[in-house]
Amino acid sequence: MLPAGSAASLSPWEPGLLAMLTYGVMVFALMAALLFLCSWLGEKNPNREKCLAYESGVIPTGPAILRSPAAFYLVAVFFLIFDVEAAFVFSWAVSFYSLGSAGWAQMTFFIVLLLLGLFYVWKKGGLEWGTTALPPSCNSKTSC
Amino acid sequence: MGNNGITAFLQQQNFLLTRLDALINWSRQYSLWPMFFGLSCCFIEEAAAFTSRYDIARFGAEVMRGSPRQADLLIISGTVFKKIAPVVLRLYEQMADPKWVISMGSCANSGGMYDVYSVVQGVDQMLPVDIYIPGCPPRPEAVLHALTLLQEKIRTGERPSRSVLNLGGGIQGTQEPVRVDGISKSRDPRGTGYTGLPIRGTAATPPVFWQNRTELMWTPQAHRVELGSADKSLETQLLERFRKVVQSTGDTSDMLTLQVKPDQVPEVLGFLKNDASPRFLRLEDLTAVDESARKDPFSYPDFTLVYHLLSFEGPRRIRIKTSLHGPHPAAPTLTRLWPNADWYEREVFDMFGIDFKGHPNLRRLIMPHDWMGHPLLKSYPGRATEMRPYTLADARRQQPLDAGVFFQKPDGSEEMLLNLGPHHISTHGLMRFVLALDGEKITDLDMDIGYHHRGVEKIGERQSWHQFIPYTDRVDYMNGTANNLPYLMAVETLAGIGVPDRAQCIRVMLSEFFRLNNHLIWFATLAHDLGAMTPNFYTFREREHIMDIVELITGGRLHPSWFRIGGVAADLPDGWKEAVDDFVKTFLKRLKEYESLTTRNPIFKARTRGIGRLSLQDAIDWGVTGPMLRASGMDWDVRKKFPYSGYQNYDFDIPTATEGDCFARYLIRVEEMRQSLRIIRQAADRMPDGAYVSQDCRYGVPSKSASLKDIETLIHHFVHTTRGPEIPRGEAYAAIESPRGDQGYYVISDGTSSAYRMRIRTPAFANVQVIPRMARGASISDFVAIIGSVDYLLPDIDR
Repeated sequence: MLPAGSAASLSPWEPGLLAMLTYGVMVFALMAALLFLCSWLGEKNPNREKCLAYESGVIPTGPAILRSPAAFYLVAVFFLIFDVEAAFVFSWAVSFYSLGSAGWAQMTFFIVLLLLGLFYVWKKGGLEWGTTALPPSCNSKTSC
Repeated sequence: MGNNGITAFLQQQNFLLTRLDALINWSRQYSLWPMFFGLSCCFIEEAAAFTSRYDIARFGAEVMRGSPRQADLLIISGTVFKKIAPVVLRLYEQMADPKWVISMGSCANSGGMYDVYSVVQGVDQMLPVDIYIPGCPPRPEAVLHALTLLQEKIRTGERPSRSVLNLGGGIQGTQEPVRVDGISKSRDPRGTGYTGLPIRGTAATPPVFWQNRTELMWTPQAHRVELGSADKSLETQLLERFRKVVQSTGDTSDMLTLQVKPDQVPEVLGFLKNDASPRFLRLEDLTAVDESARKDPFSYPDFTLVYHLLSFEGPRRIRIKTSLHGPHPAAPTLTRLWPNADWYEREVFDMFGIDFKGHPNLRRLIMPHDWMGHPLLKSYPGRATEMRPYTLADARRQQPLDAGVFFQKPDGSEEMLLNLGPHHISTHGLMRFVLALDGEKITDLDMDIGYHHRGVEKIGERQSWHQFIPYTDRVDYMNGTANNLPYLMAVETLAGIGVPDRAQCIRVMLSEFFRLNNHLIWFATLAHDLGAMTPNFYTFREREHIMDIVELITGGRLHPSWFRIGGVAADLPDGWKEAVDDFVKTFLKRLKEYESLTTRNPIFKARTRGIGRLSLQDAIDWGVTGPMLRASGMDWDVRKKFPYSGYQNYDFDIPTATEGDCFARYLIRVEEMRQSLRIIRQAADRMPDGAYVSQDCRYGVPSKSASLKDIETLIHHFVHTTRGPEIPRGEAYAAIESPRGDQGYYVISDGTSSAYRMRIRTPAFANVQVIPRMARGASISDFVAIIGSVDYLLPDIDR
């Protein structure tokens, strides 16, 4: 729902199927042309060495897909959580005036909740790099 | 449409294709992507071509690519070793098509001066080569010239549009054939058509001495020294404590030398390390000599093991020798006493086939794992041209060891094994680190060296005493002509040759210039490894300034080979003082600028402080020397402790630190640059007058003008420039403080015109062996800082 008075400042939205289709076709045609030119003009010489992974000039050992340590996973998860939640904050900032004080209060609550989560993660050592970054009182035998 | 119509169509089509050819060639010739791949010394000059003075970007070959996938120009810059050849071939095949190859320098072209068992005699035996650059090493201008020649070749010689458009036919990329020995190339060092002559030098090369005329020449006895009272009392102490085990060897040219029975070696050396007074804490060197080609074989055993120990108190050195008998003898290991004996013993096993009982991991160190024979045996052929040619098929077959072989991991281990090197920007040469990784944390680390083994110790046994000087330059290609110094000092010690003051002073001045040269490039590469590109372009400016001075004085850049037995090759030229003064005036200010880019840079500090700590105890136990030892807290510098070439007359300080981390090593080297500058200034200011080379012509080469005045000098000139002088029978060890640490030459003469054994104790060999101690538990990014701060060079490790 648009706030009152803003209709004049925005262009009217007129759904047009033809324009949409034309745009779609253009996008696909461009992609197809690029892919075709690459595969047609590109040099292909798939010999054994060329298909091998490059690892400083020697034949690699073992598979490259291994179980990765939890540290990488944690970083990825924290990034996802705090990054996605920032998206809520941005959309709130755009409609700050229309949402009014109620929206402000709700958002403040949301941000505080986020911050509490961040402090918890910080305290738990989740922001430290590495698999061994646990509080000093912890070791592998006791759970904490 | 009739015939005319078709012809017209084809003509039109050809016209279009020709236009397209020109367009594609034009765009290709100005957007060549060279790969970042340096094999040897030549790469330093290749890299210089990318920096501000030469600026290869002007010619459209902008940035060197780290991966073969992004590169289409391979510049083979330096020696192609048999151990690295399979890697070179793989990198070439992994490059993007179409691709081109430039062979840079004599080694890559033909093996150059390295006609030795470990070197491929020309990369064109396994790769097609478009352009050859002659020179050893070629100048950066020559790289630019080669690039323009290649551009010309692409422009005029290639018709790529038919292949690009998949029309069949067309010419693009390298079309040169791979050369085959005996058909399309000749490896014969005599040149084609001279097969009736013996190969130059073979007449005087062990084990056969056909017509060696040095036998007819009289030379005095080796120079002998009187041992000091401390050495004498130590000798008495050892002789009494180890009766019938330790024997005196009599006269010596340099240090106390004792003969020990093989089985008691650990006991005697353990006493020297732990209980003797003074204690000999460092195993400076461990090597072997194959005695089978002695002129007087009955006075020698089959093999001699030689241990050089060093005591920091005094300071003094001691040499312990032990005799071994049989074709594949065994000796007890020293690895329990000194951890650095590990590599030394593996090297002896590799090169001589001597077994070490109790060694934890006795396998080949330098030669490839599937190599046949032990190269430093006198019966082993030294020259590559005596062996069958290395071919493309060999390069496909002889692969480096799989990374899994280096570690004992339980089955199902989820650790990642990663090869860092031999081709990697951060390894600074052909060095292979095999890492076991948990995430990006290094849990274990092993090193595979020998990719840069040029067999220089074997070459030392066949080149005459003069001819060997150029090979020493290339043992540490950043240290230039200063490398000549320890070799010449050993020869001068053995033969008792005096060096005039002026020559001493010139030697010091040039040595310090090369120390600056090394430290400047080290500064640039360390910063580059840590993500700072800028210092590269600035420090190379100073480096070029140094090269200009070196060129003015010596006529060469990287490898001037300018020191001679008893002095230097020529007097200082006119205008040298002004050139040196110019440099002295500007350098401090410049150094300050460079430091301001890094020293207080928070990223640089975060990447180096507390990273790669090396404790003083470890540094001593592992025989670490040079700036690394000083950064760990030991005030040790050969220039102060065993002053040579008149260093005792100069006023300079030895910077030390206690942290032992990458940052401390950085600070030490930066301060060393200031101290080197002080020495250069003093040397230039008080350059004494007089002769630049010893006037005693028994060993040195007399000047040409003098040789034209009387017959005696003429004879000496002739003999010394052809078969070379005879150095008296004996042995001597001499060491200098190279930019990396203690670099020593142990020279044995059997009274002929070439050395009987040429042993080079290089600092990087010891400094690199300790890297696992510093790197276990570090992350990969820290590891790059660690290896950057060690400042090793591959020929200095592998020789």
